[in-house]
Amino acid sequence: MTPINVMSPSMKWMILSQSAMTFGAGVVFPFYLIFIKEIGGDFTEFGIAYGLFTLFSAFLNRLFGASSDRYGRKVFLVIGAWGTAFLFLLFPIATSIWQVYAFQIVLGAFGAMQKTCEKALIADMTEGGRRGELIGRYHFGVSLFSGAAVMAGGVLVDFFTLDLIFYIGSVVLFVGGLMLVRVKEGAV
Amino acid sequence: MKKPLLIGAILLYATAFAASLAIRASTPEGQTASDVSRLMSARVHEVIPVRSTSDIVKALEKARRNNLKIAISGARHSQGGQTFYPDAIVLDMKKYNRILNIDRANRTIRVQSGATWDDVQEAINPYGLAIRVMQSSNIFTIGGSISANAHGRDPREGPLIDTIDSFRLMRADGNVIQVSRTENAEWFPLVIGGYGLFGVVLDADIRLTADEMLEERTLKMGVERFPEYFAENVRDNPAVGLTIARLSTAPASFLKEMYVTNYVKATAPLPDNPPKLKEERAVELTKFLFGLSRKCDWGKNVSWTLQKRIFASENGTILSRNNAMRPEIEFLEYRDVQRTDLLQEYFILVNRFVPFIEGLGKIVRGSGLNLVNITVRYVPANTDATLSYAKEDSFALVLLFNHRRDSRGISQLERATQDMVDLALQQRGSYYLTYQLFPTPEQLNAAYPGAESFFQLKKKLDPDLLFMNEFYARYAP
Repeated sequence: MTPINVMSPSMKWMILSQSAMTFGAGVVFPFYLIFIKEIGGDFTEFGIAYGLFTLFSAFLNRLFGASSDRYGRKVFLVIGAWGTAFLFLLFPIATSIWQVYAFQIVLGAFGAMQKTCEKALIADMTEGGRRGELIGRYHFGVSLFSGAAVMAGGVLVDFFTLDLIFYIGSVVLFVGGLMLVRVKEGAV
Repeated sequence: MKKPLLIGAILLYATAFAASLAIRASTPEGQTASDVSRLMSARVHEVIPVRSTSDIVKALEKARRNNLKIAISGARHSQGGQTFYPDAIVLDMKKYNRILNIDRANRTIRVQSGATWDDVQEAINPYGLAIRVMQSSNIFTIGGSISANAHGRDPREGPLIDTIDSFRLMRADGNVIQVSRTENAEWFPLVIGGYGLFGVVLDADIRLTADEMLEERTLKMGVERFPEYFAENVRDNPAVGLTIARLSTAPASFLKEMYVTNYVKATAPLPDNPPKLKEERAVELTKFLFGLSRKCDWGKNVSWTLQKRIFASENGTILSRNNAMRPEIEFLEYRDVQRTDLLQEYFILVNRFVPFIEGLGKIVRGSGLNLVNITVRYVPANTDATLSYAKEDSFALVLLFNHRRDSRGISQLERATQDMVDLALQQRGSYYLTYQLFPTPEQLNAAYPGAESFFQLKKKLDPDLLFMNEFYARYAP
């Protein structure tokens, strides 16, 4: 067992990978509204798209939570990251709002895998006494990247094109998925 | 995870990434026609990519049969709906771009109208030939440039009409005529600078010049000194091959300082193997810097100071005329949904330059417009086209604004534009018709005395108004 004040390599990789994933998603999401507008939608359609994501995510959380107990968390996290990475590649070539709705539903599924399994895995990797501290450190790293992502996304959209943030987000998510390979499940 | 599985995943992802990029690059813009400013757009009947003359014949037949209008588009850099009209068939001419003939002895080229200046440069560079007149950038099509009667940076050349020997035109009835100053001559001044309202230009015979080596020289001066400097050192100086000036829009030196860049004939002759054409480089960096100066005053100051350094480092550069005529432009691409880059151009008599700049400064400050950039070129008088803009020797001032696209922003810009046009008219100048349709019909008639006969002849030569665009709809009486 690793001494309590040293973070295990697995935990470090987990933080790195989840930071990358928050970054990849964070670079896109606040600017999603602009994308919907470009494709010809309005606030209502933005609401529908976002709602679809959340609703599907809600139902699937239970399914993926239970499945991850059986098959392991990591595989779902990898599928979630890579799936989102692939899906982001489809946004720049989307031409109608219906396609966006479909993507949102699938994104909801990947989002559920990520959210539930991330929490479960973190719980697996920490234990009793120092759990709060480790989770605090974990969220510190991840939130830092999330903030940076939003700022970076703004600059990218302003100076370059909207498509670019999907491509950058996609690459970062894919790399985030790759990092998970170094995470050992159950290693504390 | 197993290694082969991992490598497989990476390969799969890379393939998907490449596929997405490829599809993105080849996706057409859809059936809503617009231009680079995205200020106006129209839902059109369809956009037909033209590859052959028969495509145009078929499109014209279809339009006549279904009672539709025809609009013609090239690079789509006009900004007032000159290339589209609601429910019209839009002919996208970009693929109609073959080089038909190069006559080296007489220095002429025959080229299809969808070809760009870049295509022409690629074709003529090996023969030591160069373009006489074109815009500062080479991305525009020949047909679009003819329709706008573009002008360029060579102080000894007038507008494009000067270098067009003849062209073939498909009229509304589907017949093709040869048009020159002697053959079907009445069409010549109407089609050139006629914004596609008289027919489809199929191909044109354009006069070229010899390529030569030029040396880039930039100097800084106060705005009030420029007209005199220009008259003494540029206009009558045969050594200057190209010239362009930039005015400061940085708050610290707003419309007070300028850089003048001359491309002076170098002593070294053009090598037997002319220099290769350069491709765009470092576009993302220029794009970023340009983005900064769009954004804020601080950015404008930084950009102005950086330009000083860039010019200093480029001073003395020796390059061919062809290479001097391919400046970077991709950085101008701008995709903010809420704002847009708008161009405007004013033609001002040489001795009225300083009062115009003073008046312009007042209008820009008073209206709160975000003026990003002003460049100055020179156009000698030419009244060959019915809609001629430089009735006397003039400076051409190109203004780039970055502005909101919402309706309040647009009406703000409309008022300011009308003020600027009034200012130009007071100084006996005019404005360029290729940009927004903000000026009033009265202003159009004041700036273009030929406008009335232009619209009359349009009705006579195309009585069914088959060729139609937003420009005609706005201004035809």
